[in-house]
Amino acid sequence: MNPSTDQSRPWQQWDLYRAITPKNLLLVFVLFTLLSISARNTEIDVAVVKTTKAFLSAIGIGESQVLDGAVRFAGKAFPLEIAQRTEVSRVEDFDPENLPLFAYVEFAESREYDVMTNSWSSETVEFLVEPVGYLTKVLKKMWETIEMGFWGTIISITISLPLGIVASRNYAPFKWVYSVARGILSFHRSMPELILALLLVLMFGFGPIAGVLALAIHTSGVLGKFFADEIENAPPGPQLALGSSGAGRLKVLYYAVVPHVLPAWIAYVQYIFERNIRTATVLGIVGAGGIGMELKGRWDLFDYSHVATILLIIFITVVLLEAVSQRIRKKMI
Amino acid sequence: MLRFESVNRTYADGTRAIKDVSLHIKKGEFCVLLGPSGAGKSTLMNMVNGMVEPTNGHVYVGDLDLNRKNRVKIQRQIGMIHQQLHLVPRLSVLHNVLAGLLPDVNFWRSLIKAFSFKDQRRAFQLMQEVGLEEKHLKRRASDLSGGQQQRVAIARAFISNPEVVLADEPVASLDPSMSRSVLQSLKAAAQSHGATVICTLHQLEYALEFADRIVALREGEVFFDGHPSALDAATQDQLYDITSPAPESQEKVAA
Ligand SMILES: Nc1ncnc2c1ncn2[C@@H]1O[C@H](COP(=O)(O)OP(=O)(O)OP(=O)(O)O)[C@@H](O)[C@H]1O
Ligand SMILES: [Mg+2]
Repeated sequence: MNPSTDQSRPWQQWDLYRAITPKNLLLVFVLFTLLSISARNTEIDVAVVKTTKAFLSAIGIGESQVLDGAVRFAGKAFPLEIAQRTEVSRVEDFDPENLPLFAYVEFAESREYDVMTNSWSSETVEFLVEPVGYLTKVLKKMWETIEMGFWGTIISITISLPLGIVASRNYAPFKWVYSVARGILSFHRSMPELILALLLVLMFGFGPIAGVLALAIHTSGVLGKFFADEIENAPPGPQLALGSSGAGRLKVLYYAVVPHVLPAWIAYVQYIFERNIRTATVLGIVGAGGIGMELKGRWDLFDYSHVATILLIIFITVVLLEAVSQRIRKKMI
Repeated sequence: MLRFESVNRTYADGTRAIKDVSLHIKKGEFCVLLGPSGAGKSTLMNMVNGMVEPTNGHVYVGDLDLNRKNRVKIQRQIGMIHQQLHLVPRLSVLHNVLAGLLPDVNFWRSLIKAFSFKDQRRAFQLMQEVGLEEKHLKRRASDLSGGQQQRVAIARAFISNPEVVLADEPVASLDPSMSRSVLQSLKAAAQSHGATVICTLHQLEYALEFADRIVALREGEVFFDGHPSALDAATQDQLYDITSPAPESQEKVAA
């Protein structure tokens, strides 16, 4: 501004910006070395070799254990099982005159293992066959899984919104509140859902409660941090303007920050919701409700055709879900 | 009404934006701040509502000393048009204007944006006065032109009937006829409602036309203070002529 100050040199003498410097080169070298060491540790090299072999084997060159494993599973998985077959003797109040819709009775051999004589006995018994019974069961379980994801998200928002506000540096009432809130959020984030679900199953027993709470606790840590960071990064101008007119902090937050961060918040909540549903599908493996319980049961019984049905339903659900939420997002922006 | 007592402001990077300024602005006075870019006009103005704190010295508004205790009380008497406007981009025009009333609105009402009809009508009236139309009401502030945004900022500053109006280049992006009418309404506020107005301008002719008093800053110091008629051509040239050394520039080099 003032040419008489000693800092102003003619432009010919100004410092040039240099992209390639010895420091940068050294940095790249160090980075590369660290990456190679880490790749060794995680057997990335083995993974590359084995997958390449699998691909080669798929087009007829050489043998591959990986591919064999996949083929074995696929062989057992197809055709998919969508019918439900139950021994008539196990159906409660079986009434041959009044079968469920589309169901029929079939005679088939039932093999039973006798522990005392250590042998298989087989007899011909009646089965009640519901043609899409298993599919219906899986769909019901899938719906329960979606509900788990939904309530996990709702509870997560309820926890993380207030925590997120006081965990933002500029809206925490006191410094210690900020530190405590950030601490709680990190703690929630640091506990994986599966571990939480294990613990919660011990406390609440088998079923969706454990799953919902596990999702809520973990994702509240993720959401809360995101809320807080977004609040901290909101443009300060409008906040200053409203604040300097004498409006209270909460009002400033609501009028100058929320309109700015809301689209990002909504998008992130949507993402968390999708993620919660995906995670909810595996929580059943530790008994925390949802479709995973069925998956784990069938997997342990080697019922791969049932497993394949479940996987297909999960896949379809996830794809549909993402399509729907994409639409919602487009509408809102 | 407004008093600066040997006020200094040094920014964190060492810039001395305001150097020992003492001023007394009377109630109802329309005071125009002039000065080249970087002279410290915005800094001085932002010290009135506590956005910038003096490094040392005191600011009084009415008979209140501007300190932590009185701050909010003083801020409620002030309406400000910021140089960067500072509207909330994604908020509707109507709510941007009504946001000027936030200090007085019940918290729960503000949470559902339930402003009284009386307040809304006042907002409408102000908006029409500054040249905004009904179709702008529901638009987002970011969807308006620069000049229209400036009008929103003006309406927001006036909606709380402030005792003191701080206008930091209120006509920067307005066309000449709109500029004139905005300055007229600032002046009317000063005359009818007894508001004290401080207004920075870069257009000398407007300053000469509207001001009751002109304060010119140069490099953080008061360079001229008096009635517009006292600002003669020689002083005007010197004010904006950065090649001629200001009286204090030698000091600055030494410091
Ligand atoms: N936050 C800040 N940090 C550091 N320096 C600042 C800051 N704000 C302003 N300055 C400096 O203080 C000086 C005065 O700035 P100020 O904004 O008050 O000028 P101004 O008279 O309003 O200029 P303009 O007419 O361009 O708006 C300038 O040199 C500016 O670079
Ligand atoms: Mg300025």
